Amino acid sequence: MVAYEIFQLVVFPGALFVICLAFLYEWVDRKLFARVQGRYGPLYTGPAGILQPVADFLKLLSKEDIVPRACDANLFFAVPVMYAALPLTALFIMPIAAPEALVSFEGDLIFILFSFGLMTLLIFLAGWSSMSRFSAIGSVRSALQMLSYEIPLGLVLVCPAIAARSLSVSGIVQWQAANATWGAALQPIGLAVVMVCMLAELELVPFDIPEAETEIVAGWRTEFTGRRLALFRMGRDLEIVLVSALVVSLYLGGAQQLWLVPAAAMFVIKTAAVVAVFSFARALFARFRIDQMIAGMWKYLLPIAVAQVVLVQMGLGA
Amino acid sequence: MGYASTVKVPFGPQHPALKEPEHFLFEVDGDTVVGVTPRIGYVHRGIEKALELSTYGHGIYLAERICGICTIAHTCCYAQAVEELMGIDVPPRANYIRTIMSELERLHSHSLWVGLVAHEAGFDTLFMYAWRDREVILNLFQELTGGRVLHAINTLGGVRRDISPEMADKVRRALEHFEGRTKEYLRIVRTEPTFLRRTRDVGVLKPADAARLNAVGPTLRASGIKGDVRRDDPYVAYDEMPFNVITSDSCDVFGRTEVRTEEMMESIGIIRHALEHLPEGVFRVRAPRNVPAGECVSRVEAPRGEDMHYARSNGTAKPDRYKVRAPTLANIPALCKMLVGIHVADIPIILAGIDPCFSCMDRMVFVRSGGSTGRAR
Repeated sequence: MVAYEIFQLVVFPGALFVICLAFLYEWVDRKLFARVQGRYGPLYTGPAGILQPVADFLKLLSKEDIVPRACDANLFFAVPVMYAALPLTALFIMPIAAPEALVSFEGDLIFILFSFGLMTLLIFLAGWSSMSRFSAIGSVRSALQMLSYEIPLGLVLVCPAIAARSLSVSGIVQWQAANATWGAALQPIGLAVVMVCMLAELELVPFDIPEAETEIVAGWRTEFTGRRLALFRMGRDLEIVLVSALVVSLYLGGAQQLWLVPAAAMFVIKTAAVVAVFSFARALFARFRIDQMIAGMWKYLLPIAVAQVVLVQMGLGA
Repeated sequence: MGYASTVKVPFGPQHPALKEPEHFLFEVDGDTVVGVTPRIGYVHRGIEKALELSTYGHGIYLAERICGICTIAHTCCYAQAVEELMGIDVPPRANYIRTIMSELERLHSHSLWVGLVAHEAGFDTLFMYAWRDREVILNLFQELTGGRVLHAINTLGGVRRDISPEMADKVRRALEHFEGRTKEYLRIVRTEPTFLRRTRDVGVLKPADAARLNAVGPTLRASGIKGDVRRDDPYVAYDEMPFNVITSDSCDVFGRTEVRTEEMMESIGIIRHALEHLPEGVFRVRAPRNVPAGECVSRVEAPRGEDMHYARSNGTAKPDRYKVRAPTLANIPALCKMLVGIHVADIPIILAGIDPCFSCMDRMVFVRSGGSTGRAR
């Protein structure tokens, strides 16, 4: 029994499965993004280039490790590890293979929200510790961005919890299963707001302001090379899995068995669809300027988020 | 004294937003640029001296290599200057072919620029599309001249190759496709809301400033001033071509995008007209080896603006003095004006807005002080 639990944590649906998903979704994103732009995308490693993200990861691991002389060494070494570990930890709370997650407690939705905040804090520390102009500007932009999207995000994420009378992600999935409905059907406004905020959380176009290549090189990631950069990239991929898992769990029914299709397969299909939406979105827009982004978030997104909460409190969509 | 209220932010010579080495030192107060100091001259190649050391016939190959994109504009300008010194008349057919080539070059240069400005605004999809469709023009160049980048089509006394009726048909068919794509870009740059937010009221250059600072090309025309060498001082066959000088009153990066995209439509019209009315006859006359003494200024509207060449001959086979003023140099003062009072995040898109070609403009001038003006090289 203990052996099975360890298997669950380490292999399926735990760490190994999630990391494989992370690489798979990076491929889905790159491929779709390229196809939308009239390019081929990854092509050579594995069938249709599906192993390219793994190959990139391994290649980066073997690259020279450059540490800037001026950096804050402790932070500089610790942040990439934490950045990769945090979304991996948070993913244990996500129901992947069954409506019940590996770890689940009343209030784990709050923990997820908290971990999104922590991710941004880590980004800020990453930029800050590398002591470079571009990194500093990138990390400040990242923090500014968080200040603007986190409040609408927090507001709308509470709405499914109010509807399900549970602050646990697994609880919300089970509530959707029990009522044979999807959060998206009840709270479409909330879903839209979450998708926009998640574009900002993942720093995708039009909100890729903290790492705007043409303005500030690679933003907060400028000084990171080799295995630290590899960890950052894996952390980003895991974050994409985490974000799409959260959207799927709260709004799209989560990991529920559908007729003969097992819950895990449904989860993969639904999350891949969410990733596809992100890829299309980032192909369609130009980048906002930081002031335009913050103004837009506070002027438009926050009132919409409040409206969603009001609607749920009035009993609509709950 | 406390802390200085402004921070100096260097931009370049190595920076991902600048494809060529050039340095700008920005004085930044918070998020606002309050001052800018350009430092030019990183890619001085000694090309003027090389021109003075080579014969007129060789010089045209050097002139072609001044710029990687305006190769036809520079050879056209060079050939014009030397032909005027030689006193030879270019056959009309050659003039028409030069016109067609110049406009094809404008098409490929402007679509390259639309892609670049989209990239600076973080709109990579438009960037990929524009560069993909630009291949059509590059393939045309390959079939017409044998080279995609360096065409070597202009020569002293005419052009090196004729355009056959079959080739003319090929050009027409390619333009058919390209026109559709250009209309699509025009629609995108005019309607895409995120792109508009990044370009409208960004990098404003008032008409008075544009005139005072001698801006040239699309940068000038986007400030509402009808300045175009093709119309003001027609060369090759432009006096026989029907076209509009496109201007925009918005005076910002959006205006520059709109002007360039609409100019592409005009270029397509010019090429069609020129192909339709291509005069019969020879396309090349022999040029003499030696050139009588004299001096001459030649002007051409390159895709980036007015390109100016000055030649002075002394009766030998080599020029006594040759001077090239690439359009980007003329736009630098206007650029510095645009860059003051903007957000730091807008720097790349404004820099890209003048369609800079820094490597083409770098020359070196030695001025001996104390009485006599030194020999400039």
